[in-house]
Amino acid sequence: MWIRFKRDRTGVISACVVVFFFLIGLLAPLVSKLYGKDPYTVYADERPELFDSAGVPVQPNGGISGEFWFGLEPGNGYDVFTKLLYGIRTSLMISVAVTLATVLTGILLGVTAGYLGGRADYFISRVIDFLLAFPAQLFFIASMPVVVSLFVSPRDETPVYVRVVALIAVQWFLGWMSLGRILRGTTLALREREFIEAAKVSGAPPWRIIRREILPNVVTPILVQGTYMLPNFVTAEAGLSFLGVGIVEPTPDWGQMFSKASTELVMQNDITYMFFPGVSMIIFIVAFNLLGDSVRDAFDPKTAR
Amino acid sequence: MTEDPVLPAPREATDEAAREPLLVVEGLTKHFPVKGGFPVRRTVGQVQAVDGIDLTVHVGESFGLVGESGCGKSTTGRLITRLIEPTAGTITYRGRDIGHASRKQLAPIRSEIQMIFQDPYSSLNPRQTVGKIVSGPMEINGIEPDGGREKRVRELLEIVGLNPEHYNRFPHEFSGGQRQRIGVARALALEPKLIVADEPVSALDVSIQAQVVNLLQKVQRELGIAFLFIAHDLAVVRHFSQRVAVMYLGKVIEVGDRDSIYTRPRHPYTHALLSAVPEVNVTDEDTGGRERIRLAGDVPSPINPPSGCRFRTRCWKARDRCAAEEPPLVQLSGNHDGHLTACHFPEDPTTAREEDIVLDPALAALEGESK
Repeated sequence: MWIRFKRDRTGVISACVVVFFFLIGLLAPLVSKLYGKDPYTVYADERPELFDSAGVPVQPNGGISGEFWFGLEPGNGYDVFTKLLYGIRTSLMISVAVTLATVLTGILLGVTAGYLGGRADYFISRVIDFLLAFPAQLFFIASMPVVVSLFVSPRDETPVYVRVVALIAVQWFLGWMSLGRILRGTTLALREREFIEAAKVSGAPPWRIIRREILPNVVTPILVQGTYMLPNFVTAEAGLSFLGVGIVEPTPDWGQMFSKASTELVMQNDITYMFFPGVSMIIFIVAFNLLGDSVRDAFDPKTAR
Repeated sequence: MTEDPVLPAPREATDEAAREPLLVVEGLTKHFPVKGGFPVRRTVGQVQAVDGIDLTVHVGESFGLVGESGCGKSTTGRLITRLIEPTAGTITYRGRDIGHASRKQLAPIRSEIQMIFQDPYSSLNPRQTVGKIVSGPMEINGIEPDGGREKRVRELLEIVGLNPEHYNRFPHEFSGGQRQRIGVARALALEPKLIVADEPVSALDVSIQAQVVNLLQKVQRELGIAFLFIAHDLAVVRHFSQRVAVMYLGKVIEVGDRDSIYTRPRHPYTHALLSAVPEVNVTDEDTGGRERIRLAGDVPSPINPPSGCRFRTRCWKARDRCAAEEPPLVQLSGNHDGHLTACHFPEDPTTAREEDIVLDPALAALEGESK
């Protein structure tokens, strides 16, 4: 399987790209230290000579220079490069957390439904149907403030971690059903196989049957679905931040950079602000989706693309 | 049964040992509910898969269970291994009723009743190595043999005729016959006293069938394991089993030792089954005298079985009494000991017959034309 994956050049390249992004996210503090700046410094106050009276960088292309590689943001004058690094870090952290939570929930409920069958299966399947009927994007937008206000009273300043937790919770709530359904089906098919009966005949407890006989056989759909789900969560999270219900200033975030690039009048005239987060996100999402394809091919060479 | 199964001690099925019952099944019944209706689903019928059967398997004996597809053979096997819960009846294993025991109560007996499955392609977990598969039952039951589990697994692989070096391979690297041998090794891992073999060879190639049957026979003789051998292949059962029961539509209709069933059958259905076995000799001289019975139609639905004798709808001897009264499973006059038949109007104890019985109208018309 690993050998098959290594033979797939697209897969290897996209895996490298994905690993690169994760490394950037992980090492963001280190990189920004080497680079000598951080995303919270307000350069409009520190270096007022770089900005004109409206707060727009004087130099062209958003103030790109040897000192500020990706330029400076108008207004507060944050450094775009470190902001992007930290933005990737935040986005990936949230998305990975959501993916882990959904995969765990999907395994738990899907395998339980498939293995137990009967009433439990009926109940869990109806819950899945019910949640699938929700318009996900609208639900995210509408419920984010509600979830946040569950933790913090609207008059107080919302701490960043509450927003992060709320983002994770909201996406998790509507994210696990597809995997749960797939696992339910796979488990249903596996349950009728004779090796499960063989384990039962030798007296295996249900937990052992699930752990030793069923789970190893559903690793493939879990991995494949996981690699497809993660980029979706990245874009969904970016979308929420773009709409202003996700991460807000000054915490750097991928999606929120788009929102800044498009909303403020000055920025609309300069494509630079859209360019860096946009290109990096496109590269990341495309690479991750290609990686998902390659993972599926490596696991299951029989399915045609 | 005091032999250590590790040492293949030759074991003759002596009479007194064979008389000791290992497993006694009485009135075993399994009805599967048929659900239907809208909006409230409720039970609208019962599939009477197994309907009150009595069996006795003695220590070290091979007991064959034959019958048409859908007559409840496999269900019986699954009931005895307690994969499914019986609706009624008792399963007594060495004096203990295990018919409704819970998983925990069954734990000590689990290791003594094992199963060999029909399909070697689905009975082995594709994600586990052979070593894992065979040692799994030992692990579950906390058995730690001398020299470790791995050594024991290698021994078992050798017993079933596989290379012990195959320990770390995966099932997909093996052929059907080899896989079935792995299944046998897994069943032997717990040193069972009874193995329920649910059509262990019907999914295999004919040449491989013989190998696996001979392996099972070797295991049965040398390790003194009792077998409940479920099959629809009469020749295989004749080769393998000392006693045979014939099932029809969830009932045992005839039971007896091998020779009684195969040479002196009394129930019309047994006659029909035996006459359906193809013979290698096709010349007229050789088949002369061998009876020829061709039944018409299908096995009736087990949801709504016929009253009285279940075979009466297809029996050429059926009379009013057969519909009114269910024939008991009794020893008929002229039968050997232990040869029981459930029929009001039994046939002569022979497999020869002058006239053909052709109940199938299409076949009868065809033959009428040609005459």
